[in-house]
Amino acid sequence: MATTTERPFTLSVPPAELELLQKKLELVRLPDELENAGWDYGAPLSDIRRLVARWRDGFDWHKSETEINKLPMFTRDIDVDGFGTLNIHYVHQKSAVKNAIPLLFVHGWPGHFLEVKNVLPHLTAISGDRPSFHVVAISLPGFGFSEAPKKSGFAGRQYANVFNKLMLSLGYEEYVYQGGDWGHMLGAHVVYHYGHKHLKAWHSNMPFYRRPTLFSNPLLTLEEHLPTQAARVAVEKLTHWRQKGIGYYTEHATKPQTIGYGLSDSPAGLLSWIYEKLVSWSDQYPWTDDEVLEWISIYWFSRAGPAASIRIYYEMTGGNTHDTFEGTARTTVPLGISYFPGELLLPPKSWMQMVGKVVFESEHDKGGHFAAYEQPEKLADDLRRMFGRGGPAFGVVHGHEGYD
Amino acid sequence: MGSWAKPFTVQVSDADLELLHKKLELATFPDELEGAGWDYGAPLADVKRITEYWRDKFDWRKTEETINQLPQFTTEIEVEGHGSLNIHFVHQKSAAENAIPLLFVHGWPGSFLEVRKLLPILTAASPDQPSFHVVAPSLPGFGFSEAPTKPGFGGYQHAEVLNKLMLSLGYNEYVYQAGDLGHVLGVYVANAYGHKHLKAWHTNMPTYRAPTFWSNPLLILEIFTNKAVSQTLEQASRTWKKGGGYYMVQTTVPQTLAYSFADSPDGLLAWIYEKLARIVDDYHWTEDEVLEWISIYWFSRAGPGANVRIYYELTGGNKHDMFEGTKWTSVPLGTSYFPKEPIRFPKSWACLIGKVVFQAEHDKGGHFAAHEQPEKLAGDLRMMFGKGGPAYGIVPGKDGYA
Repeated sequence: MATTTERPFTLSVPPAELELLQKKLELVRLPDELENAGWDYGAPLSDIRRLVARWRDGFDWHKSETEINKLPMFTRDIDVDGFGTLNIHYVHQKSAVKNAIPLLFVHGWPGHFLEVKNVLPHLTAISGDRPSFHVVAISLPGFGFSEAPKKSGFAGRQYANVFNKLMLSLGYEEYVYQGGDWGHMLGAHVVYHYGHKHLKAWHSNMPFYRRPTLFSNPLLTLEEHLPTQAARVAVEKLTHWRQKGIGYYTEHATKPQTIGYGLSDSPAGLLSWIYEKLVSWSDQYPWTDDEVLEWISIYWFSRAGPAASIRIYYEMTGGNTHDTFEGTARTTVPLGISYFPGELLLPPKSWMQMVGKVVFESEHDKGGHFAAYEQPEKLADDLRRMFGRGGPAFGVVHGHEGYD
Repeated sequence: MGSWAKPFTVQVSDADLELLHKKLELATFPDELEGAGWDYGAPLADVKRITEYWRDKFDWRKTEETINQLPQFTTEIEVEGHGSLNIHFVHQKSAAENAIPLLFVHGWPGSFLEVRKLLPILTAASPDQPSFHVVAPSLPGFGFSEAPTKPGFGGYQHAEVLNKLMLSLGYNEYVYQAGDLGHVLGVYVANAYGHKHLKAWHTNMPTYRAPTFWSNPLLILEIFTNKAVSQTLEQASRTWKKGGGYYMVQTTVPQTLAYSFADSPDGLLAWIYEKLARIVDDYHWTEDEVLEWISIYWFSRAGPGANVRIYYELTGGNKHDMFEGTKWTSVPLGTSYFPKEPIRFPKSWACLIGKVVFQAEHDKGGHFAAHEQPEKLAGDLRMMFGKGGPAYGIVPGKDGYA
């Protein structure tokens, strides 16, 4: 019988690290800005100046740490073929409902495990006619408090391996999956390697895939040209993405080490790089300064350092030589998609059929890229409807239908 | 007309120097994947080594003194709609009175210092070679020039500064040499002031907007028939795919990038060093050389965040290419091809830029031609503008000969 390497995890940033951060904040040097720049040129100076000052003078990390530590967190060693052992950090909250559905929640960039915070109580709650979930929210390797791979080549297959092994090690032979951003793209890999056998159904709030071609899906290529509102939005968002949104992605996918130096050395640099996305990718979410600073702090104090988290873009795209779905193919594992209006890209809904067997679709009038964080009730509701009695994915996990 | 030029010396304050050192003491590095080499960007060992040298050995005051051996000035230049900018420049006259006035314009991540090695060669008076009066400014927002304060400071605004600078020095007619963004701005200067003030110009990065089948069918057909052409394009495309990340960030969110540049010395170093090290041809940078180069950015008048805005302004925030609003001109153009210049066009495409009267090809040299191969570049200028050359006597009364 193998002994488990699972240990409870308590976040406790060493005083030396807090001191170093404080010293850097005291030495901060900010750039100037063009008059009336607004958000046109990037994160506005007045926002960053205010946030840096708050970080230096008022933000109470210990308070955040105490709150974060209320979550049931653990680490355990996961062996990855060719990469040795990685110590992986995760939240694991069981529902009081014994037969709750095991669900793996996977964040992206610039997200982290804490994105599960708001949706966790909804998913694990006992609620009569609605299903409950046992939730596992992992820190991706290289993010949060998980170790990072030391060698190059850690891509889709490896992430899938880590996820599946984690769930199996927790006693979840079969489970379901929810993700957005990298969570979505890695979902396609997990489902490809472990679909049906272990991963029984999955849900994404980022409806993204490679573009259909005349060879692969001729009819789908016509969708964008239809005179519909959906087609117009799809094209608008794609145009905006290509023109204005793709800078960070290109740098991350080609030179993650180069951008990593500034992110590791300058709190203001890290703050602005991420804050710009927190605001521009969410749907008018009323971020408080402390909320932002807590979010950034997870990156600043991350186990592998903020630069390590950038490498996923390079590894998953072969240094920008292919897309993130390389090495996957469509599966028949049931797939649910939630459409939030503030999401970066909203391709025609028919495209998701290329990804998998779409059994559930939901459309919202509010919410952006960080759906679980911004609209936890809406997202939880979608999952409950997808997996609950009468839902299209009811009972996919044997013996764990979500009700006692 | 600008006011009279004032002599200028670089004089970084003690406070600025102290702040830099305090930051260097606290420099915090990322880790790196095993065997990463240059694959993921600037290698950790390099950045660490240079940062530690910066902290412990690099003597800025000594470097400052050396820089101040260059004859530097500042002058006020009015730009329509943008008020007055204080512009910094090197101005070295030749002993030959009829030397050709030449404006040398740097790019990114370059600086006015790129002219340094060219100066003694170009300004040397000789009966056998043409010589030049050389003016090398810091572009607005770079080095020791003020930066624009309002959005919209595009190609024609830069051209206005450059032209007015030359006029303010009494050079009503002049020639121009540049690569990188200096080349891009050369196109604007040629469009706005060609023939009237700009008499001829030379570029070591001859590019322009790509031809289309409608505009230049023969050039497009050549892609299919001429292997050299298709190979050049393929190579350029590959290089761009791997190395174009900086461009995508700088054209869209220069302000977001500015925070890292202003606050982290090694963050700034890594971003720039990645280019310095990779787009040269077998050029061995010393730590002092790299750090002098980076220091111009770190101690720049407008701060290190200002310079990257030019990418946004020239492209409308990546809405269009950098040449928007310009056309082919008949201003005589010279082109020099250095083998390791990553941003390349097939030679046959140079005619899209302007009236090519001179073309040279070299077997050594990269992006920073003036810095890496000053003799070769100066040689090209002497050939282009010298007796028997295609642009000889292009500036009336100033043929360059003693």
